[in-house]
Amino acid sequence: MYKKSVTALSATLLAATAILSACGSNNNASNTANNGNNTAATNAPAATTDAKKEVQFSIGYASGDPATKEAIAEAVKAFMEANPNVKIKDISETSSAAYLDWLKTKDAVGEFPDLVEIRDTQVFADAGKIVELPADLAELFDNPPQVDGKVWNAPMSVNVPQGIIYSKKAYADAGITELPKTYDEFLAIQEKLKASGITPLVVGGKDIFHMGFWVNKFLIDDVYSKDPDWNSKRTAKTVSFTDANVVQAMTDFKDLFTNYVDKGWLSTGDNQTASILVAGKAAQLYSGTWMFTQIQEADPSFEFGFYAIPDREGKVNVIGLPSPAGWSLSAEAAKDADKTEAIKDFIRFFFAPEQYAKYLASINAIPSTKEKVTYETGEQMQVALDLIADPNVTKSLAINNWWGDNLIPPQFRNWFYKLLQDLVVKDENVTDYMKQADTEYDAQVKANQQ
Amino acid sequence: MSTALQQTDKPLAALKPKKKKQWQSYALMFILPSFLIYTLFVIVPTAGSIYLSFTSWDGISEDMRYIGFANFVEIWHSPRVHNALKNTLVMTISLVVLENIAAIAMAILVDKVRWFRNLFRSIFYFPTLLSGIVMGFVWAMILNYNFGVFNQILDAVGLGSWVVDWLGNPKYAMLSIILSTVWKGAGYYMIIYLAGLQGIPPELNEAASIDGANGFQQFRHITFPLLAGSMTVCMVLSMISALKIFDQIAVMTDGGPGFETETLTYIIYKVGFGELRQGFGTALAMVLFLIIMLITVIQVKFLRKREVQM
Repeated sequence: MYKKSVTALSATLLAATAILSACGSNNNASNTANNGNNTAATNAPAATTDAKKEVQFSIGYASGDPATKEAIAEAVKAFMEANPNVKIKDISETSSAAYLDWLKTKDAVGEFPDLVEIRDTQVFADAGKIVELPADLAELFDNPPQVDGKVWNAPMSVNVPQGIIYSKKAYADAGITELPKTYDEFLAIQEKLKASGITPLVVGGKDIFHMGFWVNKFLIDDVYSKDPDWNSKRTAKTVSFTDANVVQAMTDFKDLFTNYVDKGWLSTGDNQTASILVAGKAAQLYSGTWMFTQIQEADPSFEFGFYAIPDREGKVNVIGLPSPAGWSLSAEAAKDADKTEAIKDFIRFFFAPEQYAKYLASINAIPSTKEKVTYETGEQMQVALDLIADPNVTKSLAINNWWGDNLIPPQFRNWFYKLLQDLVVKDENVTDYMKQADTEYDAQVKANQQ
Repeated sequence: MSTALQQTDKPLAALKPKKKKQWQSYALMFILPSFLIYTLFVIVPTAGSIYLSFTSWDGISEDMRYIGFANFVEIWHSPRVHNALKNTLVMTISLVVLENIAAIAMAILVDKVRWFRNLFRSIFYFPTLLSGIVMGFVWAMILNYNFGVFNQILDAVGLGSWVVDWLGNPKYAMLSIILSTVWKGAGYYMIIYLAGLQGIPPELNEAASIDGANGFQQFRHITFPLLAGSMTVCMVLSMISALKIFDQIAVMTDGGPGFETETLTYIIYKVGFGELRQGFGTALAMVLFLIIMLITVIQVKFLRKREVQM
């Protein structure tokens, strides 16, 4: 108890020293106890809920993508309408640039959400911040990934492939009639676009997570598609960032950014990329299927296509393996039976086919539930679904989405992406920078072992 | 002064021991609430932070291992910390110099100007009312490469070749933060300098003027020396504020491009909260605390020497 108090007060001092008052929040729903007793909330009609006690819980998720935020907010609203005795306080803030920072800050100020989207599952499970997903919820999903032999998350969807979202008009104007079959053909397309007078690629590099789209495309092509256990080997120091395959991946990354990316990429946010694309200021965007809705909303008449970029050998490798991420119950909320029941009811409601289909359609996601859920898809989404269904397409994960022995130090991802920004803007030597990556990786592994 | 002390002390000293003890216990009772609050909110957290800086605590788990001086050794060897320290010093020196020059210039202007004096005061002071976060968002929008007003103006007046990514280019990112922070902060120091200016007797300038001193000479030999008191305050305040700069960086550049605008306060937050190394972050906060204390002591000692008493 004493240790905890000292810890909390010390964290306060650290926060004060860093002048972080603005990072706080007035939300205090997370620890607002429910007023209820022991009656669980259900999906029953409102007329029967008069006798039910009031229950309140907080919810937190990465809300940087407007379509995702809207889709979850709709689900929350629909649930509360169906269950008037349950109040859900949405404490998410519109920034997923550093979702882990946000979660950690919420934890430090005692506002860790009761129901929380978790991406760094192992970190929060090891810290005892989340509890195992109740068995009756885990059975809703088809083989959900396990960490330490346990299921911790209700996966909100299956990982979707990322690829090039391109303006059909820009391609036609540049005389591009065929999609690329190799990475070199893709580069030839970039040259044609550049020659036609349009910026080939828009990148939302101001948001560090957006950097990961391109970084992982190259890492998957050159590293993870050939060796899914590369991360664990790096931790064991049997492979290096200076190995030829990683250097090749990062050289391709650097060359692409130097030659074909919009000059304002470092001050462009992820949420500005759709506007730049539909405004005709750039011809292509590399992102995921969740962007389709944003683009259609930005300009319903904008015609666009989607494809995965092949590697130099013509193989297609995409993000598409399951990873342990999704809704989790906080350990604090799990101590309260009423709250737990209300949260379980919400999760069942969220994944009920009728409701879940709306969520999936809003962000063009792939269902993770056992029960089949369908929704109307556009031509672009059909390409993504075909990629997932194609056995010849290699499915992989981003550098920070692996787990178990392949888990990288949680702090490494952002540092590495920033290093790569530095590499591009300063036009430095790739091998030298990869040496720095090795040093930092080892230092972080060592720090985490202390 | 000594007389006053004697007069105050005498009645207490003259009291009988029992009465004296009673008065002392009353005094203690008055001190106790402040002492408790100070201990609880300053001494204990500070002691806790000192302890934390010797641990590898990740900030979320119960596991808090003592690792001796390992965090401080890492700080000593870390290129990222060295880079942040360099950025902090560059930013601090630039801000202290530019903010004070701008503040003195604005103070002289609003002191001398005959018309619209209050309007100018309001215009110059207004930016200080904005929070660092709001100011950061405003300037990030103004300086945005694709949608920002600044680049659009440059384009419109035929200076399209000057259009750059002000916050994404390593050559300009730091400069953009510094200038926007001067815009926000100088108005506050202007008020202090203005008070100093208005405290200078006009007879001094009149006498100098009769003796043939021009405007610059009057400023150089009368106004500037007599502003030394205000300058001490403004320099110390702007230095401390610059060493702690965080909001603008978080909003405008997120420490980037790459690590170009990472400062000590910024990595304290990033490391402590984003990278799950609260122990290391706290050790960095301790180092920053020592740096601020050291620089403040030196600065005050130096600036006090040149103050002129009237």
